[in-house]
Amino acid sequence: MNRFDLKASYPGFTLSATASWEVSCAALFGASGAGKSSIVEALIGLRPEVQGPVRLAGVSMDGLAPSERRLGWVPQEAALFEHLSVRDNIFFTAASEAGRRAATEAIEALEIEPLLGRSTRELSGGECSRVAIARALASEPRMLLMDEPLASIDRPLRSRVVPFLSRLAREKAVPQLIVTHDPIEVLSLAEVVFVLERGQIVQAGDPQEVFASAASFGSLSALGAENRFAVKVKGRGSGTWIVETSGGQRLSMVRVKGFPEPKEVAIRSEDVILMSSHPEGVSAQNVFSATVQSLEPIGAQVLVSLARSAAGDETWRVKVTLAAVGSLELAPGRQVVLLIKAHSVHAM
Amino acid sequence: MKLSEIASIAGLSLQVSLLATVLIAVPAIAVGYVLSRVRFRGRTLLRTFVSLPMVLPPVAVGFLLLTLFSKNTALGEGLAVLLGGSFLLTWKAAVIAASVMAFPLAVLGAERGFDVVPLRQEQVAASLGATPVRVFREITLPLARGGILHGLAFAFVRALGEFGATVLVAGNVPGRTQTLSMAIFTRIEDFRDREAMVLSLLAIVFALAVTGAAEWVLRRPGRSA
Repeated sequence: MNRFDLKASYPGFTLSATASWEVSCAALFGASGAGKSSIVEALIGLRPEVQGPVRLAGVSMDGLAPSERRLGWVPQEAALFEHLSVRDNIFFTAASEAGRRAATEAIEALEIEPLLGRSTRELSGGECSRVAIARALASEPRMLLMDEPLASIDRPLRSRVVPFLSRLAREKAVPQLIVTHDPIEVLSLAEVVFVLERGQIVQAGDPQEVFASAASFGSLSALGAENRFAVKVKGRGSGTWIVETSGGQRLSMVRVKGFPEPKEVAIRSEDVILMSSHPEGVSAQNVFSATVQSLEPIGAQVLVSLARSAAGDETWRVKVTLAAVGSLELAPGRQVVLLIKAHSVHAM
Repeated sequence: MKLSEIASIAGLSLQVSLLATVLIAVPAIAVGYVLSRVRFRGRTLLRTFVSLPMVLPPVAVGFLLLTLFSKNTALGEGLAVLLGGSFLLTWKAAVIAASVMAFPLAVLGAERGFDVVPLRQEQVAASLGATPVRVFREITLPLARGGILHGLAFAFVRALGEFGATVLVAGNVPGRTQTLSMAIFTRIEDFRDREAMVLSLLAIVFALAVTGAAEWVLRRPGRSA
């Protein structure tokens, strides 16, 4: 049983977050500034000003020092000990045989073996994240607390790291709480998601259901969108803005009276339709070609990464079913057409 | 000037500077840590007090030490009993004078060292189960070692060059309390410029060697390489 009921007041920001869950992997989802870091640091025991009971992995954390809580923390920036080698980082707290075994398993599963003798200064962001996860596991934690654990891990490796973390949670009984603003991480790892907005949990439940229902209201929809682009307004249509991304893609989006010109847009990966060829007579305002770069399975769905044909450096992400992958013959290099309704382009 | 004379002067200077550096190392690291990490009323006052020997005329510091350690004070009397006689006008007094004058540099170096330690790494170490003592010993101290070593190296060099305070409390007795700085001064006074030059060059060599060694220790690949 896991539960927290945290309260704190800061100038211009009030934290009042309550959550409880019993599943092996939960996610705290929210935009920057929503209060995710405050909650994680309070759970670790680093924020004495945050009041309220905390119970994780069945153990009350109230009054315990950070070193007594045994929470395997993986901060977003990894925070590897820069004066120690990768090996010494991982085995920093692996005092027992079980800890060393956990570290060795993590080293193998996270493909860290070739990095062991290296200085942490030589590692890429993704390598740092993997080492930080292994280091946390070596401490035999009651629970893993991971801040955007997959953010800098490249996609091919991610498809191997996700099953490892899922296996840890379910088979090795290492419960996990992930903190993220990336819905892909939530959908990949978590069984329950808590949506955090301005210091409060506004929604909780099954990630698929939460994100599906979120499409009905703008801010959360935009918050969870995988496609985000800086834009410049190029003109006005009838009730629409015509904007252009920095990569040169023009998009039509609904213009809401009284709202300022958009500077950034967000499009959820579920709101983009893929077709094998240019359609005729469709209502969607945004139709353009792109080339498939990679495919990544996420549960029963597949996340397709595409490079727009005209500007290769702008990546679009589209979620499709496995059936669609087959019927469209999606594979790297395949050229397809993207359709997006103006309503699905959200101003940030 | 005989080689044995140079060796005696250099040996005494190194002995005094090294002992002074060793003597102040732990207190300087502790005060540097407090100044860097602990927020309390009077922090600025403490920093100002610690820095005093750097801004006061060395002779004034020497006079204060002389007054403090004279047999007329309880401290001086206590020390005399403890050491079996007044330690003023001995090489031990030179160590004390050098320690006082070098202390601020060691503290400032340590403070700077602790300032640049990423707090996150200490927090993660604690979250992994490391006790505060282990976090300090294995994370904070190694990460602060750059500033600490620089501070101690400069403190050593400062102790080596100390003159004003030392001459008052330890005197300028050849073979007993005459350090490099005092030997150079004496030779200039006696118009023995060549000897003064030799000793000055020796002081330069020592200073370069110590700061160079500190740089080498900091730059050499550690356990992380």
